[in-house]
Amino acid sequence: MASRKKVLLKVIILGDSSVGKTSLMNQYVNRKFSNQYKATIGADFLTKEVTVDDRTVTMQIWDTAGQERFQSLGVAFYRGADCCVLVFDVTAPNTFKSLDSWRDEFLIQASPREPENFPFVLLGNKVDLEPRAISSKRAQQWCQMKNNIPYFETSAKEGLNVEQAFLAIAKNALAQQNSTVDLYNEFPDQIKLTNTNKPSSNGDSCAC
Amino acid sequence: MSPNNENEFKGRLITAVKKEVKQVMEESVTRKFVHEESGSVTSLCAAVEACLSQGLRRRALGLFKTSSTTALLHKIAKHSKEAALISKRVQEIENADPNRRSSSSSESMTKPTLKKNASLPANPLPKYLWIRLALFEKQLAKIIDYLVSNANKYYDKDALVADPDYGSILSSLLVGPCALDYSRTKTPDHFWTDPPADELRRHQVQRHRISSGHSTPPSVRRPILNFRRSLNASSEDSITNRTTTQHLAKDYVESLHQNSRATLLFGKNNVLVLPVNADVSQPMPGYLSLHQTASGLTIKWTPNQLMNGFTDEVQDKSVYWDYALQVRLDEIVYVHCHQDSETGGTVILVGQDGVQRPPIHFPKGGHMLAFLSCIETGLLPRGRLDPPLWSQRSGTSSNKRRRPLPALSETEETTKDYVFRIADNSTHKDMLKRNELMDTHISLPPKSRVQLPSTSTSSESSTKSFSIDQNAPDSPPSICIQAVCDSMKRQIISRAFYGWLAYCRHLSTVRTHLSGLVNSKIVSGEGAADGITADKWNELCVDGVVADHQEVYRLAYFGGVAQDLRKELWPYLLGHYKFGTTTEQRVELGEETRQAYENTMSEWLAVEAIVKQKDKETQANAIAKLSSESMSGEQVPAQIQRELSNEVVFPVATSNGRKRSAPRTSLVTPGRCDPPILTCFVFKVFEDTLSDDDSDDDKPKKTRQNTIKYESDQEDGEARQVDEAHQQLKDFVHNVIVTNASVDMGNLGAEVEGVHRNNLDAVAEESSALDACMETHGLASPAMSACVSPASSNGGVYSVTLSPPRLQKNEGCLLQQELLETFGLNLHRIEKDVQRCDRNYWYFTVENLDKLRNVMCTYVWEHLDVGYMQGMCDLVAPLLVVFNDESLTYACFCHLMERMVENFPNGNAMDCHFANMRSLIQILDSEMYELMHSHGDYTHFYFCYRWFLLDFKRELVYSDVYATWEVIWAAQHVASSHFVLFLALALLETYRDIILSNCMDFTDIIKFFNEMAERHDASAVLALARDLVLQLQLLIENK
Repeated sequence: MASRKKVLLKVIILGDSSVGKTSLMNQYVNRKFSNQYKATIGADFLTKEVTVDDRTVTMQIWDTAGQERFQSLGVAFYRGADCCVLVFDVTAPNTFKSLDSWRDEFLIQASPREPENFPFVLLGNKVDLEPRAISSKRAQQWCQMKNNIPYFETSAKEGLNVEQAFLAIAKNALAQQNSTVDLYNEFPDQIKLTNTNKPSSNGDSCAC
Repeated sequence: MSPNNENEFKGRLITAVKKEVKQVMEESVTRKFVHEESGSVTSLCAAVEACLSQGLRRRALGLFKTSSTTALLHKIAKHSKEAALISKRVQEIENADPNRRSSSSSESMTKPTLKKNASLPANPLPKYLWIRLALFEKQLAKIIDYLVSNANKYYDKDALVADPDYGSILSSLLVGPCALDYSRTKTPDHFWTDPPADELRRHQVQRHRISSGHSTPPSVRRPILNFRRSLNASSEDSITNRTTTQHLAKDYVESLHQNSRATLLFGKNNVLVLPVNADVSQPMPGYLSLHQTASGLTIKWTPNQLMNGFTDEVQDKSVYWDYALQVRLDEIVYVHCHQDSETGGTVILVGQDGVQRPPIHFPKGGHMLAFLSCIETGLLPRGRLDPPLWSQRSGTSSNKRRRPLPALSETEETTKDYVFRIADNSTHKDMLKRNELMDTHISLPPKSRVQLPSTSTSSESSTKSFSIDQNAPDSPPSICIQAVCDSMKRQIISRAFYGWLAYCRHLSTVRTHLSGLVNSKIVSGEGAADGITADKWNELCVDGVVADHQEVYRLAYFGGVAQDLRKELWPYLLGHYKFGTTTEQRVELGEETRQAYENTMSEWLAVEAIVKQKDKETQANAIAKLSSESMSGEQVPAQIQRELSNEVVFPVATSNGRKRSAPRTSLVTPGRCDPPILTCFVFKVFEDTLSDDDSDDDKPKKTRQNTIKYESDQEDGEARQVDEAHQQLKDFVHNVIVTNASVDMGNLGAEVEGVHRNNLDAVAEESSALDACMETHGLASPAMSACVSPASSNGGVYSVTLSPPRLQKNEGCLLQQELLETFGLNLHRIEKDVQRCDRNYWYFTVENLDKLRNVMCTYVWEHLDVGYMQGMCDLVAPLLVVFNDESLTYACFCHLMERMVENFPNGNAMDCHFANMRSLIQILDSEMYELMHSHGDYTHFYFCYRWFLLDFKRELVYSDVYATWEVIWAAQHVASSHFVLFLALALLETYRDIILSNCMDFTDIIKFFNEMAERHDASAVLALARDLVLQLQLLIENK
């Protein structure tokens, strides 16, 4: 398994504008926070090598424009994604409310093979800021409703939880990729791997 | 059969006919004639028969028990003269031999009088007699036409012939074949060379099947009929008989002798050949002969089994026919001779295609030399062996003493190999005379070789060559060469023509797709490299009037504008200032602009106040909710909120009770022009803001009038349209400001805002406290009304936004609320982006960011249908930095947006840009285009998205953005209104080598350019872009 060729994981970060998508990406990849970021126009991506379960994978993290009007552009960028990261601002209720539409829009545009099993990860960003408008309980409730999406509360500014969140993202993306690879290769051992790698961040994972 | 299946079946039938028609037509083209017995004719007839049989009303026509359509023909003979003719002929043929008459269908016209034999099918001979005859007589199409037009008589409704489409297709398909001439003439050669390989293979199988001979007399009329008949025919009618084969063999063997058509030059028996397609391992003995015909030399080799006549030792000789060898010498380029003192010699003929013919092993005794000698003789005068077989001892032609090459005399002990080339004398001379150019083609054989590049020796695949040769006129050699030269000339000319045509097409593509991208007039950049300097500007601007706009554009395009002049010049370039205006006019325009800007701004500032208030409350709400959540672990029931709002009294204020604001009264009097509720709130906000001191006095009045106001609104507000409501709100707010503002207009905005903020903050605290209180205690209406301070109009806003049940009854209010929401949404977006816009650039201090925000909000307020879209701030920013004047920036931004708005998601300019980029790259840099295609086609050009959306603003540093923008603006008047495309192309071309050498794919390119942002050499890119424009202009101009 170690001899398997280098894996590229494509991760898309989505969420309302100024929830901190660019900051999260840069904090994770460059371990830096800047308050100089401009609104993202079009799309950009950064790559990072990361070791997941003793495997070195390259994460290609795509940062997109936050305004929903620019969604139509998405289809070019969303295609082939292995994981979708939804970000909201814990101090801005509206950014939480639009999560549903971001998720739906992604599923429509990326049209993954198995939409119901496509890995999403939810990040509640800006936990360093006060006042809090969305409780973690509420966010977790939402995640449970969406087939147990893993949820992380992060602060891109302080680098809080960012590493852990992206590791989970990488794991989920890898599991997703393996399961799609299985469709083609039908290697039994890979199926096993997929099963063991299945994310279980939210307790029991019964499909509701 | 379901209708679908039936249709499919009909489709298949028609397809079969089409295929066979094609086959016949092809045959006629390639051979110049089609033989009546050709397999393709039989198949065509079969296909037609199948079509005609389908859906035939046999019972009605008394045609039962027959699968043939012959009866149908006889039937329609009464009505159709074509059918009558054919019918007559069929009967004639049938009657000619009563034995052949078949009671049912008379399908066979040359049926041999076979004894009925269980092992043999009943109808062994050519079927479809009438169709065949009709085809040969060129009547078939007409007969079928008749059938189609009278289909209802003879066919079921769903029959193919009765089908309006298929029927006519069928008859029209047959028009072609009916126009052909079918031939009966054939030569023995023809028979042995005509059938294609697969047909022959099938023959072989069939021949084996009928190995036990029934001795029947040969069919006199068509001796060879059965031999090739069975192409595509079913096995039952593919019976051939030995008699005909024997007859054929006889003919063939006769053809090996001297006859009128061919001179026998050489003949030798027991020459060994291992045929290519034979399943024998040993070379077989056979009879080798060399014939000279008018068209050239032919070498034949026939296995002894065939030559031995009709002895019975071999049951089936037909297999040997396949081994027979026939080689046209003009297909041969080299003759390899391998001499072997023990066995004699071997000759291998190599064709011009490089394919070797099977080796011919000569027995001992100089036969090979004799054979070669005969060939050499036969080749004269047109060709010769090179080197000559016989060397000439003396130069004088009169005294030739020839002796064979020493190597070829078998007396020599050693084994020698020799290779002769068959050269063409006449061709050579003719060519030399003709054209030096042709010299390279000297080895090209005459006509037939040109046409037949790869024919093999066996009878199998040389089909076409022979049929052509036989039909080719026996022309003198010079004419052949003439023809070769002509054909080559034509080829060269046609190649040149096609090259030219391709170029023209390319250019026409360029013109169609790209001519719109550049201006047709090429403007010279002479003396414009420095652009508009202060000196130049002094020249151009005479007494404050700039008349020569072309020169301004030209200078700006080729050299840009000096930094100090930008503030003055950009409004010209953007179209805000008109050329030829005086300074006074411009000052006036500036004043007007400022006035309008401030008015607009005051409008949206009012709305902003409401939005802000609402936000505060929402936020407070959310926080309250959060805290209650954390306390009780439950969400606050939505019902409570609704109840609360429903009970809230509308604290609407009108101007009625206010002496100071008399001019506004008419506008807002309830029941008359009934401004929707929100207007009143807005108004109220202003009232409060402007007269904060006396608000306390008004408390009672306001509360008193609430109910009245609400009701009157409800009555008339329903017919409101969005625009109307919007306009009203605007007008109203405008009036409020204009009529009330005694303060200095320039400061009003800020002042109002400041006041607002103070006011709103207080209110927010108040209301959040209220909310918290209510939610925690679950108190209902009385508490609410009590809590709402009448002094605060914001309480009103609160209730409006939170009381949908009532408001939905009032459309006007609803629309107003939508407007409020829309603008609020935009406001939030603007806020977020303004804060993030170029905050690392020195200019954008908090104060200046506010200016940016004001410009942005004003634009969005005036263009709410467009709304704010990310990127707009980036477009405002450089203008603001240059002008440092909000109203001028706003005016110029509006001009800029006229073009740019189409790039944003709602417009379609971006797709056009991408499409144009694609064409441009395809034409100006095909290598790059190939790369883009090879990497999963990223010709969608998304990596250019930001470039086009922001006119490269994010790609360049500020000073370069200025330089680039003014060139883009000037370009449309000088060179191209799509200059951005050329800039994009120039950017790509600048890094072309990097992109190409790294084989960058889509993601690589995106990443590369994102990383290169603000690191480009703008002046070089601009120069390249101008150059690219010129290139395309020249390409298009060069007609």
